[in-house]
Amino acid sequence: MKKIVVFGYNSLSYEAISRLDKHSHDILIIETDLALKKLAEDRGFKTAAIDFRSDSDLKSIGIGRDVEIIFCFLPEDPTNVFLTLSARAIDQQLNIIAIVGTQQSAEKLIAAGANKIIDPYQICGQKIHELIKKPDITSIIDHTVFGRDDLHIAEIIIPEGSYLENTYSSELSLSEQHNLVLIGIVDKELGDDLHFSIGEKDHKLDAGDIIVVLGPSREIKAFKQEVTNVRSN
Amino acid sequence: MFAKALVYFAYLLKTSVYYQQGKRFFYNLLENPQSKMKSYFDIFMICLVMLSVFFLVYSVEHKLNNAGEFFEQCVVTVFITEYLLRAWLYSDSHRIIIKEYEKAEYLNTSFKVFKTLKMVLAKKLKYMLSLFAIIDLLAILPSYRPLRILRILLIFRLFKLFRYSNSIKVFADVLSSKRFELITLAIFMGFLVFISTIAIYLFENNSSGGNVRHLYDAFYWSIVTISTVGYGDITPLTFGGRLVTVALILTGLGVLSFFTSIIVSAFNDKMYTLRENRTYAELSKLNSYIIICGFGRVGQEIARQFEKDQQAFIIIDNDENSIYLAKEKHYLCIEDDASKNAVLISAGINSGASAVLCTTGNDVSNVYITLTSRFLNPDITIIARSNRDDNVRKLYQAGANNVIQPFQIAGLLAAEYIGQPVAFEAILGILQGEKKILMETLVISAHSFLEKQQIADINFSNRKLTLVGVISANKTHQKRRNRYKVKDQHFYFNPENHFELQAEDMIVVLGRKDSIEHLQDQIEKSKLSSRKRR
Repeated sequence: MKKIVVFGYNSLSYEAISRLDKHSHDILIIETDLALKKLAEDRGFKTAAIDFRSDSDLKSIGIGRDVEIIFCFLPEDPTNVFLTLSARAIDQQLNIIAIVGTQQSAEKLIAAGANKIIDPYQICGQKIHELIKKPDITSIIDHTVFGRDDLHIAEIIIPEGSYLENTYSSELSLSEQHNLVLIGIVDKELGDDLHFSIGEKDHKLDAGDIIVVLGPSREIKAFKQEVTNVRSN
Repeated sequence: MFAKALVYFAYLLKTSVYYQQGKRFFYNLLENPQSKMKSYFDIFMICLVMLSVFFLVYSVEHKLNNAGEFFEQCVVTVFITEYLLRAWLYSDSHRIIIKEYEKAEYLNTSFKVFKTLKMVLAKKLKYMLSLFAIIDLLAILPSYRPLRILRILLIFRLFKLFRYSNSIKVFADVLSSKRFELITLAIFMGFLVFISTIAIYLFENNSSGGNVRHLYDAFYWSIVTISTVGYGDITPLTFGGRLVTVALILTGLGVLSFFTSIIVSAFNDKMYTLRENRTYAELSKLNSYIIICGFGRVGQEIARQFEKDQQAFIIIDNDENSIYLAKEKHYLCIEDDASKNAVLISAGINSGASAVLCTTGNDVSNVYITLTSRFLNPDITIIARSNRDDNVRKLYQAGANNVIQPFQIAGLLAAEYIGQPVAFEAILGILQGEKKILMETLVISAHSFLEKQQIADINFSNRKLTLVGVISANKTHQKRRNRYKVKDQHFYFNPENHFELQAEDMIVVLGRKDSIEHLQDQIEKSKLSSRKRR
């Protein structure tokens, strides 16, 4: 059970939370605005109203202890920077994801110690640009990644003892056997970068490598099971 | 009889294609501000005028030889031709004749030839009395030998230069916008000059011991003094004359500063429209550009992307700061409310624009702009941004083709990042085209080498590409598996080996830009070569 704390309740955090699996994540929403807090509670979320400016308050909700991830979704950039700084000071291992409103704040958030920053406006702008330039691709991505249809992009970590160990990516033949398209591979021998599967290099698969596939969720599940089914053969 | 012939001739002109074409050609050459030919013609005429003026100046101290005389003849011929052509273009005489004739037919009255001809002439005369036409005429007349005396009028050729540039029109516009102030000032100045002329003449005439010989001298002195130029060739000597001078200099200062301030403020007022006109003029040269309504963070990002791939666009925003920002980046922009019909029309929603993007931060404005745009142009692509879930439906209702929710996408990516960081990078990579890896669609053109090919026979991995799927509206594929409906087509994910590609299908491939472009080139080439063979 991953413990996640979400600062700020708004359409962004609602969207993020509803995408997360309720069973494997323990989510707590921090919201000081009473009306918004009430709204979150009505939707069945755990909430708390702490002062994020105080370190003891942050510690009281488990930051530095058992919280693994925090979302800094507060409306103002400076408050997000402040929150990121405070949380990073308490816990070096914490995974911090923050939203950002302007380009300058992005640099500050990175400096403050955020692991990932998300710029909704930038993404939105890029998306509109895509829609104009490549309408077909965008609608496919909408249907797949943005989940209006059954197609998904998923990543699978190859466990030790899996049948895929010591095979080559060219031998996967996912499209024939599993009805999946191989998007890319993270070959740990070559670092943590994602290598898109475009027939440039044949990767040797080892335990710990990650493969990214696109396909219907049923097939992804089946393939995942097959890969993670250790020592059954 | 004559009337009949005239009407017949008018109808002949109306239906003659050659006549219309000829007239259009000369319109483009001489008058149409949008045509390229006009700008070349203008440059040619400017050179011609400059040369002829050069010869004029040269001839003051030298005798022109035969070549010079011949050149002068040529110039005059060109000027006369131009003058006549412009008079011809100014009005369509045959239209007037036809209109009068049809009116007479309808009312069952007799067709009055002379009245009609008078109307035609009046129209042409109106042209001849216009400022530019007079200048043109004065530039030609002195070349006529009996009128050699008017040689000095050749200076009017220089005025002709104004015709070929816009500056004089702008200046005239500016002045005419302040007509009331200028007339008031002129009347005041007229009185002032009149009073001072009389006064100085009375005080400073020769019999009173002054320098002013007659009224013309007095008038000349008044103008020189009131404009604060003060040559000093005529100076007041008497006490009374000096008093008049002091008074006139002081009022002259006031008049002059008043005049300056009127001109300056007129230019200030006009500057905005002038700049806007420039924007519209530039717009009219473009086609398939994109209208971005709202230059907030989203709008800026879109503009940045469009600038990168050299897609033309125009920004409409009613916020001064946003417009300032856009101007700083040299983007085309209009500072106005995009929900007004007139603004969108002048931005070219019905002429050159191919898409409207409603990207203001306010959902109400976005709905309103979407509605206005859809009303003005039923076929244009409209993409709108929505900040709240409940407004998405309204935007679609208002006529948007696509609605984007920034916070939804961002939330989704945040969740994706937690669950599957690597897949997240993959999505982001594909979305943003990072690392030069793209997902792209290629159209299988008819008669290209991929038409009627089975997937198994196309070695995608040899081409360093990964096939993701096929988009097609073709009914032959409909029994295939992995079918997903995307708008009015189907997306066939991971097609089987025996999937046969049809013309107009689109394959969706993942790969580097070079490999994708290479395949596209091959498709195009094979299409062309098959066409040659047939």
